[in-house]
Amino acid sequence: MGAAGSKLEKALGDQFPEGERYFGFENFGNTCYCNSVLQALYFCVPFREQLIEYYSNNKNLADAEESLLTCLADLFMQISSQKKKTGVISPKRFVQRLKKQNEIFRSYMHQDAHEFLNYLLNELVDILEKESHAAKSDPETSSPSGKIANGPKSAHANGAQKEPLDTWVHKNFQGILTNETRCLRCEIVTARDETFLDLSLDIEQNSSITSCLKNFSATETLNAEDKFFCDKCCSLQEAQKRMKIKRPPHILVIHLKRFKYIEQLSRHKKLSYRVVFPLELKLNNTVEDADAEYSLFAVVVHVGSGPNHGHYVSLVKSHNHWLFFDDENMEMIDESAVQTFFGSAQEFSSNTDHGYILFYERLAAGRTS
Amino acid sequence: MINTTSSSNSMMSSSVTSTNGAQSPGLKTYFKTPEGRYKLQYEKTYPAGLLHFAHGKTVTQVTLAHLKDKPTQTAQPSSSSLGVSSGVRSAAARLLGGGNGSRALGFVGGNGGSKSVSGTNRVGSLGASSSNGLLGNSNFDGKGTYLIFNAGDVILISDLNSQDKDPIKSIHFSNSNPACHAFDPDAKDGHDLLIGLNSGDVYSVSLRQQLQDVGKKLVGAQHYNKDGCVNNSRCTGIAWVPNGDGAFVVAHADGNLYIYEKSKDGSADPSFPVIKDQTQFSVAHARYSKNPVARWHICQGSINTIAFSTDGAYIATVGRDGYLRVFNYNNEQLVCGGKGYYGALLCCAWSMDGKYILTGGEDDLVQVWSMEDRKVVAWGEGHNSWVSGVAFDSYWSAPTSDGTGESIVYRFGSVGQDTQLLLWDLEADEIVVPMRRPPGGSPTFSTASQSSHWDSTCPVGTLQPAPSMRDVPKLSPVVIHRVHTEPLSGLNFTQESVLTVSREGHIKIWIRPGSAESQSSNSGSLLSTSLKEKPLFPGKAGSTGYKQMT
Repeated sequence: MGAAGSKLEKALGDQFPEGERYFGFENFGNTCYCNSVLQALYFCVPFREQLIEYYSNNKNLADAEESLLTCLADLFMQISSQKKKTGVISPKRFVQRLKKQNEIFRSYMHQDAHEFLNYLLNELVDILEKESHAAKSDPETSSPSGKIANGPKSAHANGAQKEPLDTWVHKNFQGILTNETRCLRCEIVTARDETFLDLSLDIEQNSSITSCLKNFSATETLNAEDKFFCDKCCSLQEAQKRMKIKRPPHILVIHLKRFKYIEQLSRHKKLSYRVVFPLELKLNNTVEDADAEYSLFAVVVHVGSGPNHGHYVSLVKSHNHWLFFDDENMEMIDESAVQTFFGSAQEFSSNTDHGYILFYERLAAGRTS
Repeated sequence: MINTTSSSNSMMSSSVTSTNGAQSPGLKTYFKTPEGRYKLQYEKTYPAGLLHFAHGKTVTQVTLAHLKDKPTQTAQPSSSSLGVSSGVRSAAARLLGGGNGSRALGFVGGNGGSKSVSGTNRVGSLGASSSNGLLGNSNFDGKGTYLIFNAGDVILISDLNSQDKDPIKSIHFSNSNPACHAFDPDAKDGHDLLIGLNSGDVYSVSLRQQLQDVGKKLVGAQHYNKDGCVNNSRCTGIAWVPNGDGAFVVAHADGNLYIYEKSKDGSADPSFPVIKDQTQFSVAHARYSKNPVARWHICQGSINTIAFSTDGAYIATVGRDGYLRVFNYNNEQLVCGGKGYYGALLCCAWSMDGKYILTGGEDDLVQVWSMEDRKVVAWGEGHNSWVSGVAFDSYWSAPTSDGTGESIVYRFGSVGQDTQLLLWDLEADEIVVPMRRPPGGSPTFSTASQSSHWDSTCPVGTLQPAPSMRDVPKLSPVVIHRVHTEPLSGLNFTQESVLTVSREGHIKIWIRPGSAESQSSNSGSLLSTSLKEKPLFPGKAGSTGYKQMT
């Protein structure tokens, strides 16, 4: 234990970042999906800082009732307050809480890292929203703002219009997509906004993230069986539809749909396609605010040839060094090694390590890397 | 006689089908352009199992090498006394070396250099070498065009004009993988080929000497930066200085560029001062007259490609930091440069007249840089992945203009990791104003919107920030053609063809529409019917842009 850590410490030498901690995570039997995502989130610095700040502000609350939020905050606190600079830590409490709360993750089977990330972020949002509502339960939360009323926006099950709350999780991860549909008869464009915490992109062989984003926002024609009900025409009409990013998030999480359901096989298959992702990215499918630049800081990698087994590891950029985390192991890697996780240009390749979830952080405007 | 003909025909057809058979389904063996069809003529690669280790870690680059007739001390008059003009001679070489006659003998060889597998081959190739050689029966004395490419730990040399798929020579490097190479047809003292390795080591050798040697090792090499003693980071680019009297430059993955002089002592002087600011351009000269004679620190992170302007006055670099930089080579000053849209820039190339530089990179864009305006003048959209190779087609001439224009049209090509080859036309007077809306025209894009950045003139010696998407005019490709099943790494234009190369070392040679005739005598029947196709789209070449279906 700690061998990997001391090796990393040696590799960094006097470049070891002040105050930073690098800790591997113990694996409790197929919890690599969890470990890899947790590393990526830990090195999402604004998220980490706000989580720790939340923890210190809500110390009493955290003691009162355990939730995924308190468990995560606890874990991050534990890492950042370690005396040693490197080592191995056990995310046991967090994993137990996760399993207790959601039966999907209870089994020892291979889990999907993206499903976990999605569940975790939504869970955090729910907890924060509940807390906030509990805090201001007396003043009625009415007066829905008119601006965002042009679409069903996570309307609550009981029908009560709930003002969307901007938690710090939202501030980090949430973006807004706008779904523009143009009726081909009356030419009227209907725009419907929806929020997202990550973007799931279809992938193609030998393509780039830029190209996948372009396809994501490509115009699609709704016809035949799939017509659009136009409110103006009061009937089903052919229409053109496209998705654009109305508000780009601060942290852009891109999920590559590598696990595709193949109908003929009636099971999921892993697409090992080579999809290149640049270390810096700009979005080509925004409504406005184009040219905002993002920088890659973490990659969750799926290792293996199929969807139901395999392994997850993560690549993380911290203080301009790239680190490779594999459960309790970690090492420093060269920036150029990131490209070995793009995928395979041809099927049946021996390379099975493929970038699966990408984490980009928006750079401050005007900053040139 | 009939038998031989038919057998040679069947050989032909079988070789053609084997060429086609190597194709993956969905890959066409031709592509159409306004000026006619380009057809797949030859493929070049290497036998499976040749590579020992580390395959895949290197990316194949290809260098074209034209060997001239071997200069013999007193032979100059005698070679002219043969009374053959160069054009005739090259035709003769083609006939003798790669023509039907030699194939009927059961071997292939385009330049008179056949594979030295058995004795009969050597005899057969006498035809080519005796036409110009005073040196009797040694091979590779004549002129020839060769492809030099790297794969794994090997440098491979193929005969461009032979239909043989396998290389005629492989040179193994036990210590490190070769990464880049360059050839100078006008090199004075024989050393015309440069090879840069992953270890940082650099070799200069004579190509002819390598071809004549039967071994698998580099022979007669001058070794620079031995064991990386001056710089142990990967060589990323290497180039002869045009008219540089044996000077050459080597770019490295750590952002440094070194200048060497062939005439100087090979032993290194590694004592260059420490680089104080990694982000700043700085030049240091060697204190003694030793190699390397100078170090230029260009940028933070890797230099990915270097390219000299044809006259050697300027050198362009692109790198990990996303910047194109153009330096005056002689006075060692930054002239201009700028950042691409985003991500690293991977490749760059000059136009023959030195007016434009193409770059390609991780933003999937092909960028056209104007030396006159010192800024980006167009972005080519059409690749679905990173752009890994760009080149101007210096042999291309615009279809005879329809009377309207003196306007200069440039043809250029690009290849990408999307496995595609794209061809583009650029009209010099067209690009002053944005002339094409981006495909699927964004409503916010207006041709009138030009930001202050766009209008401002850029002072000499400064670097431009990345332009905004809406400020740069867009180009659409004339041709989009998927040429391989794997990502591409480069392309080359020759007088007769376009060459594409994949990262894994598979080269395809696409013969130009007009060249079919001259080659048909060489490579059999089949190709002779398709001559002189009329341009499919008469009129301005620039207006025939490929319409993207979005």
